[in-house]
Amino acid sequence: MSDARMLDVEIAEDRHEDTIALNMGPQHPSTHGVLRLILELDGEEVCKCEPIIGYLHRGKEKVGEHHTLHQNIPYTDRMDYLAPLANNVAYAIACEKLVGIEAPPRAQAIRVICAELGRISSHLLGLGAYAMDLGAMTVFLWTFREREAIYSMMERISGARFTTSYTRIGGCARDFPEDLFPKLEKFVREFPHRVDEYEGLLTRNKIWVKRTQGVGVITVEQALQYGLTGPNLRACGVEYDLRKLHPYSGYDLYDFEVPVGTTGDCYDRYMVRVEEMRQSTRIIEQVLDSMPSGPYLNRAGDDELKSVQPEKKKVLTNMESLIHQFMVFTDSVDLPHGEVYFGHENPKGELGFFLRSEGGSKAQRMRIRGPSFASLQVLQEVVPGHMISDIMAILGSIDFVMGECDR
Amino acid sequence: METIISFVGEQFGLEGVLALSIAYAVCIGSLLGFITVYAMFAIWMERKVAAHIQVRYGPMETGAWHGWAQSVADAVKLLFKEDLIPRSANKVMFLAAPAVVFCGVFAGFIAIPFAAGVQIVDLDLGVFFIIGIAAIEVIGVIMAGWASNSKYSLFGAVREAAQVVSYEIPTAVALLVPILVVGSFRLGDFNAFQEEHGWLIFHNVWMPIAALCYFISSLAGCKRAPFDLPEAESELVSGFHTEYSGMRFSFFFLEEYASMFVAALLVSTLFFGGWTLPFLDVTSWPYGLAQGVGMAVLLVKTFFFIFVQMWLRWTLPRMRVDQVMGLGYKYLVPWGFAALVGTAVFEYYGWRFVPGVF
Repeated sequence: MSDARMLDVEIAEDRHEDTIALNMGPQHPSTHGVLRLILELDGEEVCKCEPIIGYLHRGKEKVGEHHTLHQNIPYTDRMDYLAPLANNVAYAIACEKLVGIEAPPRAQAIRVICAELGRISSHLLGLGAYAMDLGAMTVFLWTFREREAIYSMMERISGARFTTSYTRIGGCARDFPEDLFPKLEKFVREFPHRVDEYEGLLTRNKIWVKRTQGVGVITVEQALQYGLTGPNLRACGVEYDLRKLHPYSGYDLYDFEVPVGTTGDCYDRYMVRVEEMRQSTRIIEQVLDSMPSGPYLNRAGDDELKSVQPEKKKVLTNMESLIHQFMVFTDSVDLPHGEVYFGHENPKGELGFFLRSEGGSKAQRMRIRGPSFASLQVLQEVVPGHMISDIMAILGSIDFVMGECDR
Repeated sequence: METIISFVGEQFGLEGVLALSIAYAVCIGSLLGFITVYAMFAIWMERKVAAHIQVRYGPMETGAWHGWAQSVADAVKLLFKEDLIPRSANKVMFLAAPAVVFCGVFAGFIAIPFAAGVQIVDLDLGVFFIIGIAAIEVIGVIMAGWASNSKYSLFGAVREAAQVVSYEIPTAVALLVPILVVGSFRLGDFNAFQEEHGWLIFHNVWMPIAALCYFISSLAGCKRAPFDLPEAESELVSGFHTEYSGMRFSFFFLEEYASMFVAALLVSTLFFGGWTLPFLDVTSWPYGLAQGVGMAVLLVKTFFFIFVQMWLRWTLPRMRVDQVMGLGYKYLVPWGFAALVGTAVFEYYGWRFVPGVF
């Protein structure tokens, strides 16, 4: 608090005589959570913008070092809490890389669906909040109609609507229930028309175009310097998509396009996200068509490395397996020495997990690379020169979530 | 007004100042009652319109039928809320601002003709009196923004001042067009004219332009979306009334809905025939029935335009400050003047739609 206050004073002191300092956030309708901006304003024009983060810091990385790998899964739900399924997938794959196993094909397909559902849900909220910040509140509630459908599917998948904790090291917690597939198919069939509806309200809306085109331009250089990833980077015209560059979970099996923008303004970021939602639907459609059968979780045989759960049936009949199960859930897996980094194409950009292990069941060091953290840094370069109202367009189009930025 | 004075005189034998004050009290009381009831209805309607545009139901629980009592409940809640005044606020101005804001619009209502003879005063300059007195609101808003001692409020107030003052020009110019045709500022004359010659919107080719110009500028004047910058909740929290709560806040709310009513009513009266109906001569009906039907017709038209205002609000994004100014000065003012000059030329030669033909 005292630090933040000092900053306020600092800005107040070194600012030009004709400007005023405005403190926006951490409680403000459009700073989406607890972002704080200290603005120096010349009338409506912003001369200087200082983003202050950290109000939602919960020490996720440190927590990760004090929990076994399995115990840490629920904590990943609460990072980008708009796409918990995608976070679960990212974390599980990173752990698997460290342990040195791979999920079975069915689990991989399920994970692709999860990640893409997370992407759609996150983009829907991002789009809705973006439009609402620019005054088009209806879009927000329209997107919630589809988010509701996704959330009820999440509930069916994992038992929770929000904090899914669905993945396990070596697969998923449960198989997809049979009655989920018709729902998914219905969703995939209807969703593109819904996207058309949002686009109908915004894409060629004169006011929307005037509010977003040419506003908040992020150049390729800036984007690369600040480490932007995901839709924000692609809107600048850089075709950088981890699903294409380093395919994981069998993304190379599916046919989809990576939409890129040209100018890197708010309108391009909007268009990239809208197109990504369509592509995600395409991916889900293909996964549904080619859903492999088989186990949804790697099970340990009698002679295998004791890094994954044994089969439930054996747990109930075989003493060795019972002990094994007990060990996995109390002591967790025994980790090999080594370090691994895995970058996952999360809805908001590259969500990276770095894990280093020196044996035992816990990571000795855990580092999380959150895309929102990078996106917010670029604000101080992009915002100055714009008007107050444009800040809302820029914040909305950058689509950040503080839970992941502050971790 | 005169009717009431003579009624009081005949029934109770009162005259002079006493009769006048009773008449005033009755008029003001009924207007206040009308505005309050209307605002409650309009707020309920707004929530319903918004809800149905946004694929939801809106209030459904309070009251038996579709949450009709929601606004009443809200009003009661607002009345009982603690009246907060920020410690660093300028108390006198802070307390006076909502009253000033509301008075401006309220005063406008006295010149509004609801039906033939149902009007408090039929002013000679009725049209301009209504827009002029409504502009007092700006003073109240600036007072509110300044007195709140909050930067967000101040921004809201300055935006409001700039916007409303700029949009007075296109509003006035667009209104001059029907005035030019009718040749009077008296609102009653517009109804009489349209009874005889048909709705003014169909009078000549310039009228729809003038009507559109007026409607758009009136949206800006009422601070309705897409021009709701002074209270843009995502930018300025609540703009000039950020620091207000309870009853004082509800005065700003009431003012917004009242000025929406005035704007919609002016559109219906000046361009869409007022209380007259095409193909049906109501004025020859017996006194009372004609007034009742006329009032109903006018209210239906007015509520249609209020509905359009709400429809726009829940569909369009908000504009930016410079774009609002640009729209006003670059499009509305030139088009308003074009309509004015065009109408003048057309009236002189007696043209209506195609120059030289008819």
